[in-house]
Amino acid sequence: MPGSLPHRLSRNEGRQMKHTLRNPWVYLLMIVPTLVLYCLFFIYPMVTSSFYAFTDWNGLSNYKFIGFNNFIDVFNDSDFINAIGNNMLFIVFAVCVQVPLIIFFAILIANVRKLQRLYKTTVFIPSILSTSVIGILWGFVLHPNIGPVNKLLSVFGIDPVYWLADSAWALPAVLVVNAWQWMGFYIVLVLAAILALPKEMNEAAEIDGASGFQRAWYLTVPLIKPIISVVVMLSISGAMRVVDIVLVMTQGGPVGATEVMASYLVNEAMGVNPNYGLGTSISLIIFAFALLLTALYQSTFGKVKE
Amino acid sequence: MRSLKRVSPHIILLIYVVVVLFPFVFVLFSSLKASNIEIAERPFAFPTSLYFQNYIDAWVKAKINVYFFNSIYLATTSAFTGVLLSAATAYALTRMRFNKASKAIYQFVLIGMLIPGNVLFIAQYILVMNMGILNTHWALFLPYTAGALPISVLLIAAFMKSIPNELEEAAIVDGLGAFRLFYKIILPLTLPALVTVFIVNFLGSWNEYLLANFFISKDELKTLPTGMVGFRDAFQTNYALISTGIVYSVTPVLILYAFLQEKIIEGVTAGGVKG
Repeated sequence: MPGSLPHRLSRNEGRQMKHTLRNPWVYLLMIVPTLVLYCLFFIYPMVTSSFYAFTDWNGLSNYKFIGFNNFIDVFNDSDFINAIGNNMLFIVFAVCVQVPLIIFFAILIANVRKLQRLYKTTVFIPSILSTSVIGILWGFVLHPNIGPVNKLLSVFGIDPVYWLADSAWALPAVLVVNAWQWMGFYIVLVLAAILALPKEMNEAAEIDGASGFQRAWYLTVPLIKPIISVVVMLSISGAMRVVDIVLVMTQGGPVGATEVMASYLVNEAMGVNPNYGLGTSISLIIFAFALLLTALYQSTFGKVKE
Repeated sequence: MRSLKRVSPHIILLIYVVVVLFPFVFVLFSSLKASNIEIAERPFAFPTSLYFQNYIDAWVKAKINVYFFNSIYLATTSAFTGVLLSAATAYALTRMRFNKASKAIYQFVLIGMLIPGNVLFIAQYILVMNMGILNTHWALFLPYTAGALPISVLLIAAFMKSIPNELEEAAIVDGLGAFRLFYKIILPLTLPALVTVFIVNFLGSWNEYLLANFFISKDELKTLPTGMVGFRDAFQTNYALISTGIVYSVTPVLILYAFLQEKIIEGVTAGGVKG
């Protein structure tokens, strides 16, 4: 119904419109800078990564192809296997401890009326801060002699714990700090999904006498399954990539207790004897692991019915 | 019983809020204490006398001012350039009449979102080295700007698609060219999305650690995240001073957050759920 348009274009104006919006020079000017930068820093590194990974290049000019040797070397190194194990512990901790807590807190926040905004904005704060600053901050909080955590424990007569220097405690400490940083982000994500649900069902269930726990478990959780799925997948890919917090707090130590794949990469490939071939092969392994695990999750638990 | 039921969620949530805020308050108090002895003896107490000397020492002696301005300058320029480039691209892709090419380019750019950042880290290091810009701010400015492009194009293009056609029809009839149409009509209308994208990119660069750590080794070029780690390693024993550094680094973000919390939450969650 052309007549319903407030202003109908004459044929001449239509041609003018088409002409203006088909100006190839303007189009190129607007597209090319983005594409150049994107190709240079995304596509090109991706291509060269898949190439260097099969060489023994160490940053000097000569290198040779060594087939899958980098991959074989890495998987024969018990330190790397140990690092994979620690990545898996990050995943287990995220899925088994963080995700239930995230859902629990999100439901709690969704059900209070007073202070809801305050809770939401406060829990989100750590996720907008620099991981390196958070690592420094918690290194101080967990300091064996002057840190407040040990001061608090000493009230109960507990001897100072060397949180980051004791190989039994270092990984749990890093896991907790990592959770402290990211939980709020996920809570806000889940909270938004809960608040978007229609309120009537919850009210009806309440009138029928369902307890708060019953409503949460039988009503809210099934309805927010898609967003829980997203949270689990983001946690998995986050756990595969985790590195900043480890580098700043422990550098992978003590004796590999907190080493993860990406910190192993940094320590091996960028150390005193750089080995870029090995490094790129490790980054491809991390990439493959992340893809594999998310695909695995999606084809099993992550399937949203219907 | 009924009032207990109403209060108990608040008690649990307030405990969580305390766990989140406690480290910041602790660091703020410590930054105003004269020495480790005062921190160690009374870690939870308000400082006995406010000792502002740390703030002067950290700012000048520990070069926090240098790191701070490097961070501000890099985060601002790369976020601004990223927004400008992605807005121009999003405009060309959604508004100009090259549908086939636009569709292909759009898909091509979105591939970038599947590649997690630190997979490219070593290859980017080699690239930056070959370009001869290692140890200059270009080594961070370019990857930061480029790294933000895919998600920025996605968010801005989604917003631009929703702008009705009538406006630009009228503008073109009035004789505006494609270029002026972009910055006089479309860009102002897209401002809310641009602000969101700017914030996400700014925070991303402000907080970035891995590239900053390996691409820059000159002290006077370091940004806050890497400068702070060097600072901690140099002043291992002076925790009052380290706390001051943390306060300097966290405060600008918190001030920004105080004014733009909704925008920041919206942007950061949109940026985080890209995959």
